[in-house]
Amino acid sequence: MTTAILDLDRVTKRFAGHTAVDALSLSVPPGVIYGLLGPNGAGKSTTIRMIMNIYVPDTGAVRLFGSAGSGQDHSARIGYLPEERGLYAKMRVLDVLLFLAEMKGMGRRAARPKALEWLERLGLADWRLRKVNELSKGMEQKVQFISTVLHDPDLVILDEPFSGLDPVNAAVMRETVLDLRRRGKTILFSTHIMEHAEKLCDHICIIARGKKLVDDRLARVKETYGGRHLIVAFDGNQGNAAGVFADARLVAKVQDFGQYAELELAPSAEAQEILKALVGSGARLSRFELAAPSLHKIFVDLAGPAAAAVAQRSETEAVRA
Amino acid sequence: MRKVVAVIRREFVERVRTKWFWIGTILGPVFFGGMILLQLLLASRRGGERWVAVVDGTTTGAGGRLVEGLSTVIRRFHFTRIQDSPSVPDSLTRAVVAKGLHGFLVISDSTLEAGKAEYRGSNVSSMADMRELEAALSRQVFAIRLERQGIDPAIVREAEIRLQLATLKITDKKVTGESGEEAFSLAFGMAIVLFMAILLYGINVMSSVLEEKTTRIVEVLVSSLRPFELMLGKVIGAGAVGIVQLTVWLLSVKFLAAQQGRLAAFAGLDQSGGAGFHLPRVPVGTLVVFITYFLLGYFLYAAIFAAVGAMSGNEQEARQAQMPVSLLLIVPYISIFGILNDPNSSFATWLTFIPFWSPIAVPVRWAASPIPVTDLVGSLAVLGVSVVGVTWLAARVYRVGILMTGKRPSLREIFRWVTTT
Repeated sequence: MTTAILDLDRVTKRFAGHTAVDALSLSVPPGVIYGLLGPNGAGKSTTIRMIMNIYVPDTGAVRLFGSAGSGQDHSARIGYLPEERGLYAKMRVLDVLLFLAEMKGMGRRAARPKALEWLERLGLADWRLRKVNELSKGMEQKVQFISTVLHDPDLVILDEPFSGLDPVNAAVMRETVLDLRRRGKTILFSTHIMEHAEKLCDHICIIARGKKLVDDRLARVKETYGGRHLIVAFDGNQGNAAGVFADARLVAKVQDFGQYAELELAPSAEAQEILKALVGSGARLSRFELAAPSLHKIFVDLAGPAAAAVAQRSETEAVRA
Repeated sequence: MRKVVAVIRREFVERVRTKWFWIGTILGPVFFGGMILLQLLLASRRGGERWVAVVDGTTTGAGGRLVEGLSTVIRRFHFTRIQDSPSVPDSLTRAVVAKGLHGFLVISDSTLEAGKAEYRGSNVSSMADMRELEAALSRQVFAIRLERQGIDPAIVREAEIRLQLATLKITDKKVTGESGEEAFSLAFGMAIVLFMAILLYGINVMSSVLEEKTTRIVEVLVSSLRPFELMLGKVIGAGAVGIVQLTVWLLSVKFLAAQQGRLAAFAGLDQSGGAGFHLPRVPVGTLVVFITYFLLGYFLYAAIFAAVGAMSGNEQEARQAQMPVSLLLIVPYISIFGILNDPNSSFATWLTFIPFWSPIAVPVRWAASPIPVTDLVGSLAVLGVSVVGVTWLAARVYRVGILMTGKRPSLREIFRWVTTT
């Protein structure tokens, strides 16, 4: 096995009153897109800040590129996009990019053509001499993203990269992340929106309340937690579907969205029985499918209903956006 | 180190690009030019002609002699004698209001007996006019009174002499040729410049720190270089802007002072009155002391302002939090007169050794009188150690503060930031 790009060894961070990250260990192999998932307040940002040496762990150790040393020492090889993003409002776009590249140890002369190339690529070439505060929100996010990858880092760490992005920019971001992986870079990103993780990640780690719940390749996670999983959609009339879902002999767990539901079969139940029961209850079905569970379902099962409520809300927001 | 240089450059370039930098840089010379013009204006006023009526209420006929004498002593005053009558003061007042007359002098027997006279006019606020008139009048009264005692007017004229006291400052063993007035205005000017510069550029550092904190860019920066390096870069960058601006100001003052003849001609002012604006001579030693204390004082306060910016969450909080720091700097500023009055008093000596105050107090004291070498060395040592210590403390507050969000920390929390590693 190749050495990990990033290793966390039982890192713990306490803040006055609560433990934000609790003995978290994880290992990011090279060349993957690694998703750090969890509800709001799970400790994702704190974990990332410890990786970047913005916070020092109370206990435990962070190893980057197989060697000790802080985020500052490796800053040339890491691109970091924080969750709360901002830029110097009164600086010109190109100047901001050059300055931030310098912070990563790049020379101005080397950074200039690269910055122009990226601006061109993301459609901001005409804006290079404008001030940041003249940009729209979406453009500013693109500039921030450029500043993260401009110095061609081997490890790109994105904290909630999709939050606040409109669908067009989210697609640009997604495409760029995939392109980075194609070029052999490692990407670690955090999100509480499972849909994003499901589409992008090779490998996921779910944390809640500072503790790790799952840490594996996405396919493996689905295999482990999947299996007896049923998707049902209604065509307007649900009949007495709720009664069927409540029958513990048939259904172990349910997530009922009204016109759509995800079920987990009870240990002894058969999918056919449920179909029969549903039809018998007067429901009109538009979809009835045995499937692997969505990541969201796995997440909810693992992180618990409280976390689910938070994640659910965010997901709806994301869909609406 | 390369990163620190990048921070310095950004700080410098971005600040120089703001319109406030240009407004400030241009406003400085404009202000000084205005001051010079004002001086020239006053000087030309001083030499101007005055029309003054003398209301003669004397019964002995001494009034005529008095007016005659006055006319020969101050030529720029044109005196017209008018015999006193009840309606005279009113009509003269009207003439003054109508600007046909600058004013009128009322003399009577009591002028010669008790030295009482009265002047009413539109130019009473001109110190020069009044001083001159008073001096001339008292000399005439003096002469007439002596003559009454039978003394020859020629002897009186011979005995009269006008004294001008020239004050020269002594530094170690030699007279410098600087006048007392010059030393005063130099000290005063330096205090103003030091106070303004330290406060202005220190607050620039604060707002720059605050910008990075509120936009959270600081997370990216701190993951790339050490907080101390970042703070150092900011302080040096903003300081460099200050030095450029001060240099422009000083050079423009020198230039304007040298060109004041043209300035006066441009403004259409009569320069025959002489005088004008004199730039105090600045000895090399004074310049060295000034620059040294400016730099040390700036570093001391800039570090504190950086910490203040780091522990504030927004502009408003920062403005409140910087008040005590500004007040600290005001102490030596308002002590200027105390120091100048007696530069070697124990008060002035104390100020020399208090690091927050010496950056203004010492240059002022130095300009006013020689400072013992031991005082100077001691003051520099205390200030130097304080700069290092305060920077260290400020860096620790800064390091934690820039990443904090939410409410403003209490003093106890700040103390914890400093003590924990």
